[in-house]
Amino acid sequence: MDKEYKRMLKKFFKNPSGVFGLVLLIFFTIVAIFAPIIAPPQPSNQYEPYMMPIVTWSPDPQPPSKEHPFGVSERRDIFYGVVWGTRTAFRIGLIVTGVSTLIGLFIGSISAYYGGWIDEILMRITDIFLSIPFLIAAIVLTTLLGTGLDKVMIAMIVFGWMGTARLIRGNILQAKEEQYVLAAKAIGVSTPGIIIRHLLPNTIFPVLIQASMRMGSLVITAAILSFLGLGAPQGYSDWGAILNYARNWMLGAHGEALKYWYTIVFPGTAMVLFVLAWNLIGDTLRDIFDPRLRI
Amino acid sequence: MRKFWVILALMAFAVFGFAVKGDPTTLVDLTISEPDTMDPHYAYDTASGEVIYNVYENLIAYKGESVTEFVPRLATKWEILDGGKTYKFYIRKGVKFHLGGDLTPEDVEYSFERGLIFDPAGGPMWMLWEALFGIDSLEGFVEETFGVPYSDMIDENGEAKPEYRDKLISVYTDYIDPAIEVEGDAVVFHLVRPFAPFMSILAQGSSWSAILDKEWAIEVGCWDGKADTWWKYHDIQKEESPLYAVANGTGPYKLVEWDRTQQKVTLEANENYWREPAKIKKVVIWGVDEWATRRALFEKGDGDICYVPAQFLSQIEGKEGIEIIKGLPTISVTALHFNWSVKPDSKYIGSGKLDGEGIPPDFFSDEHVRKAFSYAFNYDAMILQVLRGLGKRVPYALPEGLIGYNPDLPMYEFNLLKAREEFKKAFNGQLWEKGFKMTLLYNTGNSARQTAAEMLKFYIEQLNPKFKIEVRGVQWPTYLDTYRKGYLPAFIIGWLADYPDPHNFIFTYYHSNGVYGHSQGENYEKFVTTPLEELGGKTLNQVIEEAVAETDPAKRQEMYESVGRVVYNHALGMALYQPLGLRVHRSWLKGWYHNPMRPGDDYYAYSIEF
Amino acid sequence: MTAYIIRRLLLLPLVLFGITLIVFGLFQMLGPDKLLSAYINPNLAEKLSPEEMEKFKDKYGLNDPLIVRYGKWISSVFKGDLGWSLVGKEPVLDAMKKRIPFTVELALYALIPVVGVGIWLGVAAAVRHNSPIDHFIRIFAIVGWSFPDFVFGLFVLMIFYSVLGWFPPGNMSLWAEEIFKSPAFKHITGLPSIDALLNGQFRVFVDCLRHLVGPILTISWLWWAYLLRITRSSMLEVLRKDYVRTARAKGLDERTVINKHARRNAMIPVTTVAGAMVIGLLSGTVIVEAVFNRTGIGSFIATAATQLDYASVMGGVLFYSTILVLGNLIIDILYAIIDPRIRLT
Repeated sequence: MDKEYKRMLKKFFKNPSGVFGLVLLIFFTIVAIFAPIIAPPQPSNQYEPYMMPIVTWSPDPQPPSKEHPFGVSERRDIFYGVVWGTRTAFRIGLIVTGVSTLIGLFIGSISAYYGGWIDEILMRITDIFLSIPFLIAAIVLTTLLGTGLDKVMIAMIVFGWMGTARLIRGNILQAKEEQYVLAAKAIGVSTPGIIIRHLLPNTIFPVLIQASMRMGSLVITAAILSFLGLGAPQGYSDWGAILNYARNWMLGAHGEALKYWYTIVFPGTAMVLFVLAWNLIGDTLRDIFDPRLRI
Repeated sequence: MRKFWVILALMAFAVFGFAVKGDPTTLVDLTISEPDTMDPHYAYDTASGEVIYNVYENLIAYKGESVTEFVPRLATKWEILDGGKTYKFYIRKGVKFHLGGDLTPEDVEYSFERGLIFDPAGGPMWMLWEALFGIDSLEGFVEETFGVPYSDMIDENGEAKPEYRDKLISVYTDYIDPAIEVEGDAVVFHLVRPFAPFMSILAQGSSWSAILDKEWAIEVGCWDGKADTWWKYHDIQKEESPLYAVANGTGPYKLVEWDRTQQKVTLEANENYWREPAKIKKVVIWGVDEWATRRALFEKGDGDICYVPAQFLSQIEGKEGIEIIKGLPTISVTALHFNWSVKPDSKYIGSGKLDGEGIPPDFFSDEHVRKAFSYAFNYDAMILQVLRGLGKRVPYALPEGLIGYNPDLPMYEFNLLKAREEFKKAFNGQLWEKGFKMTLLYNTGNSARQTAAEMLKFYIEQLNPKFKIEVRGVQWPTYLDTYRKGYLPAFIIGWLADYPDPHNFIFTYYHSNGVYGHSQGENYEKFVTTPLEELGGKTLNQVIEEAVAETDPAKRQEMYESVGRVVYNHALGMALYQPLGLRVHRSWLKGWYHNPMRPGDDYYAYSIEF
Repeated sequence: MTAYIIRRLLLLPLVLFGITLIVFGLFQMLGPDKLLSAYINPNLAEKLSPEEMEKFKDKYGLNDPLIVRYGKWISSVFKGDLGWSLVGKEPVLDAMKKRIPFTVELALYALIPVVGVGIWLGVAAAVRHNSPIDHFIRIFAIVGWSFPDFVFGLFVLMIFYSVLGWFPPGNMSLWAEEIFKSPAFKHITGLPSIDALLNGQFRVFVDCLRHLVGPILTISWLWWAYLLRITRSSMLEVLRKDYVRTARAKGLDERTVINKHARRNAMIPVTTVAGAMVIGLLSGTVIVEAVFNRTGIGSFIATAATQLDYASVMGGVLFYSTILVLGNLIIDILYAIIDPRIRLT
């Protein structure tokens, strides 16, 4: 097993896009961890460091300067927002992917292992959830729960587990007939034991790849909800929200179409690179693991 | 493959080859909101009002830019008799409705009676009820007259219960019908008491006083004019009104289409208009919600008029071919008011105690707290920077231009030292020691309100690190719901005049039965019903009630000023600003003029000259 | 297989019923006060007194218990009445009927560049597996995918309308709309641009296309990443197959190998995915429609949701769900036809 992993790691590091993704990810992790040092919150802001400090009362965006290296948008310091927004992005990605993957794993494995009517019921419930387009479902649920990042995350979790459930169910159904599972059953290993110790480890890899790809897209969905006025509260360090501030300014001023470029470029770049990082890693892992996998 | 490229080239040519230019007889008005209804007796918003203004006509109209002088419209002249209790309007002859009907005095009588009977909840008809009968709704009037709630007189099917049938019939025969009568060529209104703003309530722009064609209205299914059926036509749902999506007025424009899918209203000039037909033959009022999109359309010349939010003004300033008019007077104010008795289970007051983790429910009952808040707001920055100068300070919630306004009344200035002093005095110094935590809400999308809340937070948190104010945006339904129910410790809210009279503002904000006064808690009600020395032993409520019945403008002025002084002395609320209007259109549009009481545009006055 | 199809079709009403229960139940959690706000114009709501609010609630039956309200709604649905749309200001069914063609049209046209270019990119990347071109194409596609569509949409608007003046926002120009709405214009397919062609109104057709370019461009870049990924991996798989190797060994030139042998086989999974994509495109127009001021079903349901207009939301969700369920069924069947190894049970 060890050897296998080593071989895969080697393959991974031979793949330039994979390495590039990993470097990006490490960079974002560092920014997220050291956010309080890179962009220290003002004393009055200590108790809610995720709120971007207000630096002016004028609604006009202000170009990058010494005090505000990324400029000012919607009266707030973009640099601060981009740095702390890294934490927000990780939080959205990790929590939503983590929880919805766990739910998916749970439902998928139960469904596949037991089969019969349990499978039937669980899969019909999955069908119902799958029958509402994800974005629309997220919009409806977020509106009903009220605005706020936590609400956005709940909505994305509630409507985000079905893919994993189906994937894991299919994989387990295949693996169930394999010799080692039958053998484990024969020597009397308990059901949860079989699922956790034998079935999951052999089917989890595709799930993880799928999860890594979703990490990025969730940040985008959150940004879209921001656009509809359903995302993070105003002033919260969130890339989507900062991008949303720019929507009214991006056509520029008269005669200067690109006058307010910084309102888009900095948060936009952060977002693109973040999504890119996860995708490149996911892509590369998939290529290594099994190039035929279509996720 | 080559075929593909040929087709592609052909397509590209086709796409770029055709472009059609606009013409000087068509006008496109790019705006944001969409009408609510075309029924004049239900419409209460400016978007609906704008269409009704151009399609229907009233008896009288404001003279040009004035809000106090009137000119004849469907009435040729009028007389005010009985010391202001009787109004007589002589009806113009030879006027035709769009669908061909002739205007008669009976049409006028019917129009007002239909409105009074309809009186939809949340609609504008309360104004005519208040003016004619002194009570602001039909149902209130019925209950007051017979002592039985209206809802008890009607069964589930909307039919009058037999025992009350005669009484309900008499509501029409004995009260509504005699109040508005036809006398030869004239229509006479009988008011129960003199009511100063009556003319304003009738003037063009007040859609609730628009004149319908009686025969047509009955034909399409409005009230049939009979005394024993009216309750079936009372308070019907908006979409059930036969006039919901159709219009037949005497105005310079005909309603061609209300395309609710595209938020577009199309008007066409009425060639049989009793004055000269309009110069602009076709008007399209188009709701484009996204600012960037609206702006792009306007800059390309695909729109002649454009709604521009003040904060984006800098984006289009300097572009040639665009006319920008700034600082137009409006009759409205925006103010922050305190809730003196917050509901104890509110989630916006933290712990609900004076322990640094919340505020007690009666936080704002302490005068020092209110004063401290009043001192901690940067009024100038708000007006100059946030509103880009499109605002004006007012001493209390009464806009300039109305009786009672006096720029010399005392005002709170932005002074953090004084704010600190007041905070130190509050709750016997305990507040300063322990600190507090509370939440201010604003409705998302309203950036002026948001900034105002953030500004208070910004300055108050600077005073003492133990002071914490959380500013949060919510959807407007939530905003309305929470402040109405008394969960919000303080709320920022604006008021746009229904008619240009101080009563419309003072009552709303400061009387404990006013829409906003009501939401300021029991302690506030106690305060305004307690006699005050400064008012000569009268209560604030009393003075407000007496002021509207007073006919002498000088005395009214004095009475409202005394209200203003009480507002200052006890810091009853923070009048943040009176917004000033902004108008942006292409410079080829000629003939525009401003009237603050007019909903939207008067297309009849315009022409396009390239 | 017939049994399978029937079973799936029988499940459809059950699924829809489940959905209505979920959505309705969620909305009712809000309580009458918040639901009420949907019935009032926000501009005048601030002027309402608490008593008037109570009257409103009674008028619209908001104080009734949940079951009564659901019963009323579902029984009117069976009569073919989906209720009153507060956002559309007309019955939900009418509001949807007027909007669906614009969304369908957009999705269908978008399919052309999405599929065409997406496959082309995927093949190009797979053929040059792990070369700089492969990496570049993938990154290019992912960048499109990593941008929230409202940002990219506004960019397109800026460049192609504000600067170049080519592709205006909206459904169609005013003059075209006049022709489109005139009684002489026959609405045959319901899709405006196709109807324009069928009516011989070539200029209207072109005008419709002009208004479609911006949204299509925005959507395309968004979806290329998705299609590229599938084509690429499918192509990679095929390229390793024996018959491709044989073809190469026979000395056929690379272009023929790829065009004639590899690509065709790699398309099988792509075809099935295209079906899923039509559905995805239909629901993916929410933001694009808002940016380009197009009146489609996507922006309709989003606005309805944010304004708590549950009748419209239910209508929209039912529409989407039906399409999704039927679409998935069709895809499954197609898959079974194309790939005999799949058994439908």
